[in-house]
Amino acid sequence: MKQECLEIGIIQAFLDLELSHIQTDMVSGHIAVCDACALMLADADDESAIVFPALEREFNTLVPTQRLWNKISDSIATERESRTFWHKAWAYAAIAFANPSMAAAAGLLIVSGMFAAFWVNFTDAPTAVPIDLSAKATQSPARADIQSLETEFVETPVTKIPGQPTVKIERDAYRPEMRRAASSPMIINASAPAAYLPGEESYVKTISSLNKTAEDQKEGVLRPSERIAFERDMAIVNDTIAKMKTEVKRNPRNESAKQILYSSYQNKIDLLNSVAQKEDLVASLN
Amino acid sequence: MNKIIENLILCIAIITVFAGLPSLAFAQNVPPRPEAPIRPASRIRSATHLFKTSEKFVKVDGSVNVSFGCISEGRVKVNGWNRNEVRVFVEGGNPFSFKVLQKSIKTGEPVWIQVIGVNENNKFRSSGECITGGEIEIDVPRNATVNIKGREITTIIDSIKKAVVETIGGDIALRKVADGVIASAGRGDITVEESGGAIMLDSTTGNILVFDVGPSDIGDTFKATTQSGTITLQTLKHRQIDIKSISGSVAFSSEILTGASYRLGTSKGSIRLTLPADSSSRISAIYGYGSFSSEIPFKIETENISEGPIKSVFGTIGKGGDAILKLTSSNGSISIKKQ
Repeated sequence: MKQECLEIGIIQAFLDLELSHIQTDMVSGHIAVCDACALMLADADDESAIVFPALEREFNTLVPTQRLWNKISDSIATERESRTFWHKAWAYAAIAFANPSMAAAAGLLIVSGMFAAFWVNFTDAPTAVPIDLSAKATQSPARADIQSLETEFVETPVTKIPGQPTVKIERDAYRPEMRRAASSPMIINASAPAAYLPGEESYVKTISSLNKTAEDQKEGVLRPSERIAFERDMAIVNDTIAKMKTEVKRNPRNESAKQILYSSYQNKIDLLNSVAQKEDLVASLN
Repeated sequence: MNKIIENLILCIAIITVFAGLPSLAFAQNVPPRPEAPIRPASRIRSATHLFKTSEKFVKVDGSVNVSFGCISEGRVKVNGWNRNEVRVFVEGGNPFSFKVLQKSIKTGEPVWIQVIGVNENNKFRSSGECITGGEIEIDVPRNATVNIKGREITTIIDSIKKAVVETIGGDIALRKVADGVIASAGRGDITVEESGGAIMLDSTTGNILVFDVGPSDIGDTFKATTQSGTITLQTLKHRQIDIKSISGSVAFSSEILTGASYRLGTSKGSIRLTLPADSSSRISAIYGYGSFSSEIPFKIETENISEGPIKSVFGTIGKGGDAILKLTSSNGSISIKKQ
């Protein structure tokens, strides 16, 4: 069975020695048995003989053919696909750190990070955190530094007496609670604006401004006994406010709790005002 | 061998740390010791006036306003009399003088005078000093208004028109003050009896005791506030009463007037009311960890005693009426007893 004739492009590639060995053998075998293709090859060879000397100057310049470009592009694509993420990252880093200023900045960042990590670990030592068991007892959700009290039994390395059970000593260990992630709903974000009840914000702002004044003045104005009474009353008011806020948060329709909350805010303002008034009185008498 | 070297290095490190501690201690910024306040020379010299006795009179208008800008210590007695004169008697204290601030257009008599201490040791007899004395007696017209500011003084005021007293320490007792009382005692108790007009009492750590008071005009209010003292009220005829304590209890014993509004509140104390058996009023009681009880039949309209820090009960005693009692105790109990 006679095979179909070769295309002129393949014959041209054959002449240009651009075919692979297998393709070259096949083309050679076909031309040997196909007169038409042999004729086409002869014609192409003649044309090349005429054209090549004429275009010799242009062919001598190193211009890659389209096929060469295709091969290069294919090779790049294949290589790009076969590369892993780490190779890419390494290549990027190598290019980036070739710049001296970039390398210096990266070094500074690493040193700062190490120092920050050391600092954070140092300041988070359990002994540095104040113990506040009362806050734990009241289960106040606003306290972030609530301590946990654990009791554990440890075996002590005392000399064992035959026939006696192992001595165990009860040890209380105070340690800070595990810090929760910031996204945890139990953590109150202090920086987030609190949701105020109607009129509550003005109380809070007034108290905040009075607090600063009272803190400065109370040591000079109040006697120790008065100071104790003041701090006790302030603690009572603060406790009432905290309880009422929790209650109002739990049940926003509890009007009684709201009423006591506002009343407690007013008590706190009166309490803080009393310090300022006393300061004024003392000043007017001097 | 290695163990010995390790121990040696450890010892050297420990010694180095301990050797560095004193330098750290010295490096601390020790705050300078505050200097003792220097008292003005005039104040020091004024002490030489102690144990002198002075007495002065001045003719005034019947409704004079007498101001004592500063009484540093002593027992002050103010008494109303039927003369249009002001008499001040200081025993064991410094001299004083009268300063007329305003005269009456009609009579030409002083209607506003100020009593001020005088420093005789000063070359120019400088005035404006505080009055000091063991016993300070002041007689003023019955229709006079007296203003007193003092440090550590015990004040007794009787039978005048109006009194304004402000002290840092010491008790204040007022009796038969006809037309208004404003009293503020820092550490002392306040007692008011048989007085009228608008009454405003304020004490920081002292108790407040009031009995037999009432308004002199329609709309006169009664207000008593203490931070950590007890407030005891008996027989009040004001129709607008506001009582507040933070850590003290409130005891109220009086009849309930028609159309009156009583607000009694404490943060950490109990509220005890003793009312006539036939009293009529609407009652709103809000209480925390305590309880609510009434010996007088109490008709509950709404009640909320669910779990939580706040319980409330609203209802009426007697026929209800238009008087209202608002009782609030955050951490105490509320009780109503029969008289």
